[in-house]
Amino acid sequence: MNSVRLPALAAAVAFLITALYAVDPGPYAMAAFVFLAQPLFVIAGAGYAYRVWKDLRGRKVL
Amino acid sequence: METADVFRVLTGVLSVLGALLCVWVARVNFGRIDPERKVSLGVATVSGVAFFKLLALAALFAVPAATVAVANYHTVEGVHGVEACNRCHVMTPMVTDMRDASSQTLAARHFRNGWIAKDQCFVCHSDYGLAGDLRAKMEGYRHLARYTTGTFTEPIKFRGVFHNDNCLKCHEGTPRFVAVPSHVTVRARLADSSLSCLNCHGRAHPTRDQRTPGHADYGRLTGEKR
Repeated sequence: MNSVRLPALAAAVAFLITALYAVDPGPYAMAAFVFLAQPLFVIAGAGYAYRVWKDLRGRKVL
Repeated sequence: METADVFRVLTGVLSVLGALLCVWVARVNFGRIDPERKVSLGVATVSGVAFFKLLALAALFAVPAATVAVANYHTVEGVHGVEACNRCHVMTPMVTDMRDASSQTLAARHFRNGWIAKDQCFVCHSDYGLAGDLRAKMEGYRHLARYTTGTFTEPIKFRGVFHNDNCLKCHEGTPRFVAVPSHVTVRARLADSSLSCLNCHGRAHPTRDQRTPGHADYGRLTGEKR
């Protein structure tokens, strides 16, 4: 595993949307959190898990 | 400070912390970390690579999980307040009317007489909306999507059935309720909501006509928000 840049950037965007939602919990910020930030968190987590899995496969741990 | 506010602040703090962690982790190339580098965590000393992998785990799993949990709690708690409903302009006529001292709607009478101390919308509508059961939450998300994408027409119309339980949970069994003979006569129909409380007690909110753009009352009820 050399880098987790893409998952980290996806999560960073999701965190920023969530921060905006915390500052102004209006309908648009809520929709952005529900429909954008949460899927981005899932994508980031899945991307990270895939890299860990690939890394462990490469080292013949799995 | 109310619980929803505490969770809101916590959401903000976790989000900023998470974003900073993510930016830090995104800049790291694990292959270029000096294998001899050691990092002390206080209770243990780990290699630099292990440290950044733990950091990635925190940034991409632990902190997001905590943030999503806290933010969702904030969402569910935060929608109890009247202002949460009032943020969507289509709900403003209901809130304006409720606070109108001269209005005779049920909502206004309950508000004026202090019959519901706080979270007035939620108390009467707790079986649907974001704080209701799972199916109701899904409905809430549908409302959110429709509102934010502008795929709705005014006046909005409630598609479901308003269950009398929302009224009966406070009124049933009280001396004033029991003293009305018709309440006993139609008890079964009230219980299954086949007869609405509104049939005898008047409308709860402004009429659909009043909430239609172009109506004489529309500007007053919406506070000319549009």
